[in-house]
Amino acid sequence: MKPHDNRAWLLLVPAALIMLLVGVVPLVAVFNYSFHDIFTLQDLHWVGTDWYREIVRSPRFHGSLFRSLLFSGIVLAVQLPLGIAIALKLTRMSHGRTLVIMLLALPLVVPWNMIPMMWLNLIRPTGLLGQMFDGLAIPFDYKFNALHTWAVLVVMDTWHWLGLVVILSFAGLSGISPAYYRAAAIDGATPWAVFRHIQMPKISGVLSIAILLRFVDSFMIYTEAFRINAGGPNFATMFLSLDLGEEINSFTYGAAAARSMVYFLLVITAAWTFRTAMDRRRSALQEINT
Amino acid sequence: MRGGRTVGGLLLHVAVLAGLALFILVPFFQSFLTSFISTMPRDDIAQGSFSLINYIAIIETPALRESILNSSIYVLLNVALCIAAGLPAAYAYSRYSFTGDRHFFFILLIFRVTPPVVLSLPIFILFAKFNLVNTPIGIALVHCLFNVPIAIWILESFMSAIPRELDETAFLDGYSLPGFFAKFLIPAIAPGIGVTAFFCFIFSWVEVVFARILTITSGKPITMAINSLLGIRTDIGLVMAMSTMSLLPGLLMIWFVRNHLARGFVIRT
Repeated sequence: MKPHDNRAWLLLVPAALIMLLVGVVPLVAVFNYSFHDIFTLQDLHWVGTDWYREIVRSPRFHGSLFRSLLFSGIVLAVQLPLGIAIALKLTRMSHGRTLVIMLLALPLVVPWNMIPMMWLNLIRPTGLLGQMFDGLAIPFDYKFNALHTWAVLVVMDTWHWLGLVVILSFAGLSGISPAYYRAAAIDGATPWAVFRHIQMPKISGVLSIAILLRFVDSFMIYTEAFRINAGGPNFATMFLSLDLGEEINSFTYGAAAARSMVYFLLVITAAWTFRTAMDRRRSALQEINT
Repeated sequence: MRGGRTVGGLLLHVAVLAGLALFILVPFFQSFLTSFISTMPRDDIAQGSFSLINYIAIIETPALRESILNSSIYVLLNVALCIAAGLPAAYAYSRYSFTGDRHFFFILLIFRVTPPVVLSLPIFILFAKFNLVNTPIGIALVHCLFNVPIAIWILESFMSAIPRELDETAFLDGYSLPGFFAKFLIPAIAPGIGVTAFFCFIFSWVEVVFARILTITSGKPITMAINSLLGIRTDIGLVMAMSTMSLLPGLLMIWFVRNHLARGFVIRT
């Protein structure tokens, strides 16, 4: 058990000061703006909860909320199983592990506004994929076919973030002591049983972080989605963040602030769910250990 | 390969890895290819032919050249800030329990997952008051929003793997806390600092929203230099050459931490 000592707070002072400046203060400001109609920053008019009421009732908001949730759902359903499978494969590999990890880390270091440019360059008629679609006579049209736009976004996001899921899962897997595997081998456990009863519980902590990060980042996808098709065709990829971006660009700051607060609440809800799940897991672990 | 593998299993293994490599590398390959092609109509070079013109353009355009430097400055500043603030905080978490520790960590977590666009406007106003707009310090500070939580989290994992006896012996020998950090703790968790620097680096290097809103007239980062190239008649070859350049520092970082990533750093949750 760690000793209880409140002087430890002193060690948190630098981090807390930075977070106060770049996190708490701006957040309070947004909260304040969200109750005002803003012409200029010297000319604020109190409007109470009008903006919020407008947002909650607007069908457009419901539409983009649904699309954002759907996108995050698909992204998690694709990237988690794939990432875990690759991490499991890595633990069984004796050679080339470093190479595969380096390969998967590559897309992580690409600036976010470059990622859609790279993919557009790939799927345009003269690009490698574009030529391939042409050669196979696949009528590919990401500009006007909603399904194709969605496919491009999901594949692009998977390309971008698969490495993070793999690195985190692999970090969790490599923390498992070989003794567990030896015990499982003596019991004649199947690979599935090993995964279900040893690997899965051991990496669930790291995995929940991967889930949280992938959920919030895909839920708020902006730069990538905007460059591909700017929410089109016909609003089919109009996500929450694109909606918000449009509002900020049209200088309706009060409304934009209210919308920001709504997103912030959604994000907190996700983080809170995550924390409750972690707490339940921790207390379960403590029961086992005692 | 283990002895029990069949030839079919081996083939499958190779096929999966090759497929993965193809999936990751094809977009890079395409960008690299395009960056060596003259994609605009020019008098002396036929459109679509091989040329170094895009890279020459980068070297000859001060705005593009400087953007690489600007980005490097604020990213390095940000990494330094995050590690400096993260080290003591991570030490507090790894060695002590204190009132409100879980709550503070939850707040950190929330700011890590808050979308930048939510806070961009007030941050701009606040930083304008402190004269931090158009400076690398401004961007380096604001990127701490998502990187300080990550730094604390990763550093804490590494510190908790160090036995407490190391601290106790050092304090008995008369070392102060800063002395202990410099002499024992930091060398002991050097790989952890490397991994932390890697993650702070990539999240700061790739970020676009804050980097745009905080550089109005000068100090433009590489991401914005690329954005400014996009327009009605985009020179896609030049854009791809710029992207290729923007990858180089990241590649260097991956190379430095490759063994730590591959060995698997144990993350506590």
